[in-house]
Amino acid sequence: MALTITCPVCGKRNGYEFKFGGEEKGPRPEEKDLTPKAWCDYVHMNQCVAGVQKEWWFHKDGCGSWFTIYRDTTTNLEKEAGLANHQEADKS
Amino acid sequence: MNRFNHLPTLKIDTAQKISFIHKGKKYYGAKGDTIATALFANGIRIFGRSLKYHRPRGLYSLDGESSNTMMEVDGIPNVRCENTALKEGMVIQEQNVKGSAENDMLGFLDKLDWLMPAGFYYNVMHKPAKLWPFAMKQIRKAAGLGKISPDFKMPGKYDEIFLNTDVCVIGGGPSGMMAALSAAKKGLRVILMESRPWLGGCFEYRSREYQNRLTLHERAHQLSKEVESLENIRVFTHASVVGTYNNNLVTGFQVGKQKDVFDERYIEIRAKSVVVATGCIERPLIFDNNERPGVMQTGCALRLAKTYGQLPGKKAVFSIGHDLGLEAALELHDLGLSIACIADIREDGQDPALLKKISEKNILFLKGWVAVKAHGRKLVKQVSLSSIDGLVKRKFTCDLLVASAGMTPVTGPITVAQGKLKYDTHTGFFLPDVMPEKMYAAGRIMGLEHPLSIETSGKLAGLKAAFDCGNCSIQEIGEAKKDLENLSGPVRGTKLVTAPVKGRKSFICFDEDATIKNIKQAIGKGFDVPELIKRFTATGLGPGQGGIPGHNLPLYVAKYQALPDISIKPTNVRPPLVPTFISTYAGAGHQMFKITPMDEMQRKDGGVFRNIGVWQRARYFSSDFSCQKEIENVRTNVGILDGSTLGKFRIYGPDAVKALQRVYVSDMSKIKEGRVKYSAMCTDDGCVIDDGVVVKQGENDFYFTTSTARAGQTVEWIRYHTRYDGWNFALVNLTDSMGVINLSGPNARKVLQKIVDMDISNEAFGFAEYKEFKIQDTVPVRAMRLGFMGELSYELHVPSSYMKSVWLMLKEAGKEFNIQNFGVEAQNVLRMEKCHIILGSESEQRTNLLDVGLGFLWDRKKADAKTVGAVALRQAENDQTRLKLVGFKMENNGRVPRDGSLIVDTKVRGYVCTARNSFSLKEAVGMALVEAPLAKTGTRLEIFEDECGDHRIYGKVVEMPFYDPEGKRMKM
Repeated sequence: MALTITCPVCGKRNGYEFKFGGEEKGPRPEEKDLTPKAWCDYVHMNQCVAGVQKEWWFHKDGCGSWFTIYRDTTTNLEKEAGLANHQEADKS
Repeated sequence: MNRFNHLPTLKIDTAQKISFIHKGKKYYGAKGDTIATALFANGIRIFGRSLKYHRPRGLYSLDGESSNTMMEVDGIPNVRCENTALKEGMVIQEQNVKGSAENDMLGFLDKLDWLMPAGFYYNVMHKPAKLWPFAMKQIRKAAGLGKISPDFKMPGKYDEIFLNTDVCVIGGGPSGMMAALSAAKKGLRVILMESRPWLGGCFEYRSREYQNRLTLHERAHQLSKEVESLENIRVFTHASVVGTYNNNLVTGFQVGKQKDVFDERYIEIRAKSVVVATGCIERPLIFDNNERPGVMQTGCALRLAKTYGQLPGKKAVFSIGHDLGLEAALELHDLGLSIACIADIREDGQDPALLKKISEKNILFLKGWVAVKAHGRKLVKQVSLSSIDGLVKRKFTCDLLVASAGMTPVTGPITVAQGKLKYDTHTGFFLPDVMPEKMYAAGRIMGLEHPLSIETSGKLAGLKAAFDCGNCSIQEIGEAKKDLENLSGPVRGTKLVTAPVKGRKSFICFDEDATIKNIKQAIGKGFDVPELIKRFTATGLGPGQGGIPGHNLPLYVAKYQALPDISIKPTNVRPPLVPTFISTYAGAGHQMFKITPMDEMQRKDGGVFRNIGVWQRARYFSSDFSCQKEIENVRTNVGILDGSTLGKFRIYGPDAVKALQRVYVSDMSKIKEGRVKYSAMCTDDGCVIDDGVVVKQGENDFYFTTSTARAGQTVEWIRYHTRYDGWNFALVNLTDSMGVINLSGPNARKVLQKIVDMDISNEAFGFAEYKEFKIQDTVPVRAMRLGFMGELSYELHVPSSYMKSVWLMLKEAGKEFNIQNFGVEAQNVLRMEKCHIILGSESEQRTNLLDVGLGFLWDRKKADAKTVGAVALRQAENDQTRLKLVGFKMENNGRVPRDGSLIVDTKVRGYVCTARNSFSLKEAVGMALVEAPLAKTGTRLEIFEDECGDHRIYGKVVEMPFYDPEGKRMKM
């Protein structure tokens, strides 16, 4: 796997060592006023960005922590957090 | 054949003979030979027959760019003979021949080419539709390369290595070596990959002067000595690169030498920076019968002599378009090859020094001439040459035609890493336009030919790579750049693609038998871009990975359509860049399983082991796979089972309960000390993924088990679902550090009592209770009374290091009761009789907690959104379309259906999960997931087994569990 991922504990490592945990969607919704549709959207709907997205990874063959990175889905390259934020800001 | 043995460039040792078998006959090659050169030295010119037309094929390039010299070697089909070293006793067979390569009974197909235009199998054989199956079979029989049988087992030893480095240099020629040296001298770690078995590249076999009377060959030697002397350069020879990816990942494979522990090994390199110095191969010249044995490329002819010590023929005609062709002709002439004529595509621009030598040697030299046809049915006998405009023709008698249109750079490693190429009108090459990040090109790949330019560009690329690693200054790079600018730049290349021919027998792709006529046909059908023509005619789709047609196809397509140069685009290249055995990718160590502490002892006791998930487990303890004795022993006496594969975890800390509450469906705040809490975990869809027990070890300190299959994902799962909360807890996987012994049967208590000091009577240690104690004041044991098998049972969790001791103590204590092992299959039947489910057997991915009847575990008072799965369970509760788990018996004492059989009526209604002959009940019983309307007790189930035709067997839904419904026995 050409992808490398920077684990906050172990540093930059081969993508083999990690497991994908989906897009960053924020914490579980609150119980109050939760509709089945809102719940379903939270669990199943994705943005599928063609560009830089914030996403979760698990260091399976390492320290065993969950963390987020920014990755350009078009090049499969990890991006610096600052850069990604900048690009997100540009879009909005 | 007499072979040279005095040339300094030789890589063979004629004194050491190596015998091999070709078509049942014994031959001898020399040490250092490839299979192809050894066959050639023995006079074998036809190596095999082509894919479609069964045309004779022979030696062409020596670097394995086409399937011409693919043969079956020691039973392995499609071995690239030009790249494979000859070994003692090798057995070599021809491929795709009916009869022999010399006399192929399907050779007549060549005359029927008019029946087989480009893409004929797409549009000719389909009408009427009935024809296709027949036609397909015939085509497949007649066409193809090597044959492989479905039960073929790949021989050989395979390995893999994964490396990190600062700089990876692809190509061990002069520029690659210079790049490696300049980066290494900056203190960096360098890996150098070379596809030939030795370093030296295009310098290695040439005797031309480099500088100060030093020949190119000597210079190559000098450089490779220096490379080998540096400890921070790791050289892989006979190692081809098959892919390059972003983040500078380079993959390839190395062919082992005789003394290596592998035959081939996969190499994966992560580099900070990459230098691509792959050099050039030759661009094939296209004319009639341009692949007839006897036609070969310049480098092939020259290397046959200089490296492998044999003249490529007796009398030769050269049709070339490059100074290297002239150089080769002169060298071969000096070695004794008679040359009838040299035709040079170029009208001018030749190196005057070379021209002078040619005239000195009185060799006929024609400027602006080219070969148009090779004559001879199987081998070249005569050659027709023509002026480029096709107006004047001359015929020469010869047995060798050295043909090459020019050079073509090996840009694969750049393009597969998403670099962009651009057609360059000066060189006629596709030159790197946009390089991938931290990747640099050097050497002949840039169109350079002058030895010093090649080396200096290598040095520059090495310094750039060093700069990426922070070990080189901008000034140094600037100096190297200036040095390169002062040397001669890229050489003008020829643009000619085909000789003036119609092209019916002019092959652009050898692997797929695609001719110039086929390309025209494809364009005629509207496939006007190379990428489409490539697919329609299969040009470049063969095992040579586009090595032969890669450059010519886009050039020809542009020329034929009179397109401007700017529109010339190369076709896409994808990994693997060279053919690779799948076994090489697979590497070593396929049998990797975990074993429990009891592995050896159970094997001694006659355990029959099976691979179960990541483990090897004792499934049976006799050859009776129905396990009758093992089962009956547990039901009536006492059995012992190794349950060490169970997932075991400790979670502790102030927020441990919160984490358990999140992932378990039950209310985990109510776990009582000394009691075993059974619960389950679901996905956010409510689908049940795991069940197990939790016990409280202390304040905010819990020990819990998961199923064997889930052990690996549990830490990940719990941390995932608590990742936003910042809770304070620690989670430890104890699966491997703890073993589990399951002691089950009416006599279990009597056995256990003998080795523990405390009172374990039913009153003191009742069902579903948890105790911690020590055996002989030493071995800490966590004991649970569970009833998975439906009998009095103790589950003892023991540190792995003590497992054998406790096991032996129990075996010793149980001797008087005749305690017996039981395996996973007996356990499976025992628990099935109690209708205790195993997730994965009684569930699949879509099965939720309610479907399998575990709804009682779900605490509905917990906040749904904060419990994984609860929201979905709430929604699924009233869903009548879901499957339900039911128990069933077979009608009329019928035989047991196979696991996974379907429950049907007019359509599929469910499936059998587990069904076995129950010795306790003396009938066949099982569990099935069925649609809700079929779940009522008494419903008749129609069971369809694989390949049973119209025959059905029938069962009836009955109450669960089958055995001891009141559960008295496990609570004894």
